Amino acid sequence: MSMLAFEMERPRSLAAAVEILGKYGSKAMIKAGGTDVLVWMRKHAVNPEMLVDLSEIPELGGISFYPHKGIKIGAMCTINQVAEHEDARRYYGALTDACLSHSDPLIRNKATVLGNVCASVPSGDMIPAFAAYEAVLHVYGPEGERDILFADFITGPRKNVLVPGEIVVSATLPLPAGQSTGCYIKLGRRNALDLAQVGVACVAIEGEKGREYQLAYGAVAPRPVRAAEAEDILAGQTSPDAPLLEKAAKAAAAAVNPITDVRASREYRFSMVEELTKRAVSLCAERFRGGNA
Amino acid sequence: MMKRDVHFILNGRQTTLSVEPRTTLLRALREYGVTSVKRGCEEGECGTCTVVVDDLAQKSCMMLALEAEGKSVLTVEGLVGPKGELHPIQQAFIEEGAIQCGFCTPGMIMTTYAFLRKTPDPSEDEIRAALAGNLCRCTGYIPIFRAVQKAAKTMRELGHFPGGAR
Repeated sequence: MSMLAFEMERPRSLAAAVEILGKYGSKAMIKAGGTDVLVWMRKHAVNPEMLVDLSEIPELGGISFYPHKGIKIGAMCTINQVAEHEDARRYYGALTDACLSHSDPLIRNKATVLGNVCASVPSGDMIPAFAAYEAVLHVYGPEGERDILFADFITGPRKNVLVPGEIVVSATLPLPAGQSTGCYIKLGRRNALDLAQVGVACVAIEGEKGREYQLAYGAVAPRPVRAAEAEDILAGQTSPDAPLLEKAAKAAAAAVNPITDVRASREYRFSMVEELTKRAVSLCAERFRGGNA
Repeated sequence: MMKRDVHFILNGRQTTLSVEPRTTLLRALREYGVTSVKRGCEEGECGTCTVVVDDLAQKSCMMLALEAEGKSVLTVEGLVGPKGELHPIQQAFIEEGAIQCGFCTPGMIMTTYAFLRKTPDPSEDEIRAALAGNLCRCTGYIPIFRAVQKAAKTMRELGHFPGGAR
């Protein structure tokens, strides 16, 4: 099946992009890397009249890191650019793990980190890391600029709070307050080119009140899930013992609400949320001990 | 839908093609006669349409032809030397019997090309990870991994990396 015909603009400034989006309204779609939208267009699941390609807008590229602010990722940064970025690897382990779990090395040359977030698919690999690091999205639109907390961004499968004409320009992942380490564990049926059955991001932070954990889950609810109760159970523990891990794992499973689909059943996903919670917390403890914090 | 011109360097030659916005780079290249670029799944899964765009391996079904504007696109046709001599990667694939039906081969070779330029002395695990996006449905992966190893060794011994036409 071929794609249906459409027009494409490749604006060179944000203002021009917003103007085109305004003109076409709901008949326009945004393309960053395009690895999601082109597949959807080929399946005729979406049929935009106008495709607005963001790849020629210079200010959408680039990754910058400031210790007092965190890491700022531009909308056109590919998944491989983030995966290979030195500061991302050093300070944002859950994000770079997620990057390396995404699709395959070729698609990662094209697909963007923010495109994955804006597609807002429950299994999106970047999403748990954005939730765990409490990212902020910087948005530009017809009404000017605004910041959106990632916790408020995704409202359901393929749904988010962006209004027509708005573009996510960049995202900031604040640096955790204290020495930290993180990981993302993805359960798939094969290592490459698979969507997550369950994805768990864990960030462990050596804060003022001792070790704290930030746990986020993908592919197990319509929206990304933070497991606040599990985080409370683990708080203060540098290497939680088996009974405590078990308790936290159960609390995490109580926080999610998975569906049965082609990739896994609801019951299996519940069990795997428990198992992966234990593994992710243990892996963070290991990375702390290994000096990778 | 109105066709538009896209200008890019294809295997070292300035090229202009007239395409619709919906035409993927894959379809544009094949229509132009560059048939080493194979049409497999056309949804980014199989890797048989892989080309090298500005030094990065890309699945050409995931790129609209208009996105190639101003870029350099390399296919297997561009790897062959001026007198028809095969590139060390191609030679290694032949010598190791890394080809069964051959449908995945051009994609495998282009992925290998971009990979070895960045990683001249790869480990077995690095090779496997690099080729994870290229499927061989004859499942002849082992000779392919051997061919990549051999091509890497040949080029290390050569002391240079034949660039292909760019």
